Amino acid sequence: MAVTVGTLEPSRGRRRSGSGRGAFGILFTPVVLLLVLFLGPMVIMASMSLLRFPPNLSSGRTLQHYTDVLTNDLNWHIAWTTLSIASISMAIMLVIAIPLAYYMVFKARRWELFLLLSLVLADELAPVVKVYAWQVILGRNGIVNWLIPGPPKSFLLFSSFAVIVTLAATYITYTTIPIYAAMKAIDPSMFESAVDLGAGWWVQTRKILIPLAAPGIFIAMILVYIPMLTDFVTADIVGGTGSYMMGQRVRDLILSAGDWGAGSALNIIMLVVSVVFSLIAYRLARLNRIQT
Amino acid sequence: MTASSGSENGGHEGEIVVERVTKRFGALAAVHDVSLTIPGGEFFSMLGPSGCGKTTTLRMIAGFEAPDRGRILLQGADVTAVPPAKRNVHMVFQAYGLFPHMTVAENIAFGPKIKKLGRGETGSRVAEVIHTVQLDGLEDRRPGQLSGGQQQRVALARALVNRPAALLLDEPLGALDLKLRKEMQLELKALQQRTGTTFVYVTHDQEEAMTMSDRIAVMNAGRVEQLATPRELYQRPATPFVAGFIGTSNLLELRIDRREQGLLVMDLGEGQRILATEQQDPKNGERLTVTVRPEWIKLTSVDAGGRASHVEGTVVDVVYLGSVTQLIVLLPTGEQLTVHKLNDEVGAEDPRPGQRVLLHWAAEHSYVVGSSPVPEPPGGGTAETPARAEAGS
Repeated sequence: MAVTVGTLEPSRGRRRSGSGRGAFGILFTPVVLLLVLFLGPMVIMASMSLLRFPPNLSSGRTLQHYTDVLTNDLNWHIAWTTLSIASISMAIMLVIAIPLAYYMVFKARRWELFLLLSLVLADELAPVVKVYAWQVILGRNGIVNWLIPGPPKSFLLFSSFAVIVTLAATYITYTTIPIYAAMKAIDPSMFESAVDLGAGWWVQTRKILIPLAAPGIFIAMILVYIPMLTDFVTADIVGGTGSYMMGQRVRDLILSAGDWGAGSALNIIMLVVSVVFSLIAYRLARLNRIQT
Repeated sequence: MTASSGSENGGHEGEIVVERVTKRFGALAAVHDVSLTIPGGEFFSMLGPSGCGKTTTLRMIAGFEAPDRGRILLQGADVTAVPPAKRNVHMVFQAYGLFPHMTVAENIAFGPKIKKLGRGETGSRVAEVIHTVQLDGLEDRRPGQLSGGQQQRVALARALVNRPAALLLDEPLGALDLKLRKEMQLELKALQQRTGTTFVYVTHDQEEAMTMSDRIAVMNAGRVEQLATPRELYQRPATPFVAGFIGTSNLLELRIDRREQGLLVMDLGEGQRILATEQQDPKNGERLTVTVRPEWIKLTSVDAGGRASHVEGTVVDVVYLGSVTQLIVLLPTGEQLTVHKLNDEVGAEDPRPGQRVLLHWAAEHSYVVGSSPVPEPPGGGTAETPARAEAGS
């Protein structure tokens, strides 16, 4: 292709390479800024996790913080809570997002754009506002208790339940859109041929819809699972004692206890876990990308 | 009642009956009072421009659309209210609808697995049908790794493996290039003859329908214009539409001046005349539309005598097409005739534009296709080329 362009229209070929230099010039500043602003804190965090207490230049290095963090049962307990809350929330979102995306792509017709915009707009709200809104919805005198007959249910707010529901509501956009995009690529005639061959809705879902939407599902998991693992705003506002999450733990270690070593070590461990998780999900998404 | 129960009535094996079926989409009647009887084992085509109702009719036979009126019978059993999966027919879609995440073998085994045929039976059927459609060795490929023609065969195999009473094909070759399409046409025909399955084939390509079909229903605006063998359609088109849609055809307006030996005669003066045969009994002075194929018209220098149309015209255009030379000849009536002169002699000279030529053709070759009064005196453009007919689709 490049050769053809070069022989037929050499001037255009030169202009192209020129615009390549231009692109480099344009991108140089943001790339450098990104590296400084993104990698800088990361490097500081990593070095803090390796510094002996008290943290100053002459203290020397140690892996003590890591062993402390990993041998502390409380951390394992919090990790388990965080993982359960995030997983249940993720499951709820998938249960909602997959049928929703299916409906948008194959059934909604003229409502498709409306639904898509609604999802995007729902995400435009400031996250803290959204979480407070859920406090109103789930509170003792909130909408849900008002709708349910009988004495107010106290498990609705300041509980793991509240965190799960609020997280699911917060991240539904990022779950639905990648799945929607993946389903957009599915030829609807596939469902007709499946019906023709005798497949009911369940077989169609299990054998055709889910496998073909899988890349989108894995992308959604990368986009949503990791922010949930590190989220502390939601648990702060609607959570209770049973929903103390890893994000809160790191924040409290550093800001309240001033234990930079333990906080940084925990944060780096979470980072590694997240990266490993992402790589696995990415690999699965790539494996499931199908040539048509 | 399922479709397969009808197979007990031995004589209906593979038979499809469409009985006075009407289907509306909003105000539009996509299919209007269509009746078809397709005997078992026939290669049957529905041919027409897009929007003529052929695909809707096919989808009603498959069960994807429900008729508003009328019935559909498969092998003698009424299946009008039976869902697609319970009808013993299978459809091959234009877009194939192959499952890209499954191998060829898995795609083909999809139907048998749902029907819970068992591992052994499924395996042997899949192997058999893969051999039938000549996909041996490609069992483990994915559809994305196959050529268009191979994908087409997978789609066929996936339907055939269920041993349907009839296979419904919706423009299955539409996505292939011309050369491959021609190959697949012959292959499809051979496959149909080998399996003895009823094929109901939908296409807008008249040549494709002519090549493969035992019988063709030419459809237009939701109705069947004519149902006949390819030969009958070509030689005896029932309506001007069919005459124009199947092959190249001249449509001429015929004014009946007199009758002679059972022939309708239109006198053009100076011994020139156009003749036509007609079973019915039209009145003198009535105007009829007659068709004559370009290759049936001969260039001559002498009066061919009694039972032949005989007319002199001016050559307007000459196009060398290889096996034939196409002449456009302006008649004294103001109409233009397309004439195909067979080039069976090397070095023979073609007439030039402006030259006067004598044309003649046998009376039987002018066939009356309609008596609808044509108000406007036809000025020309009576020759419908296939390209033009397709452009309308």
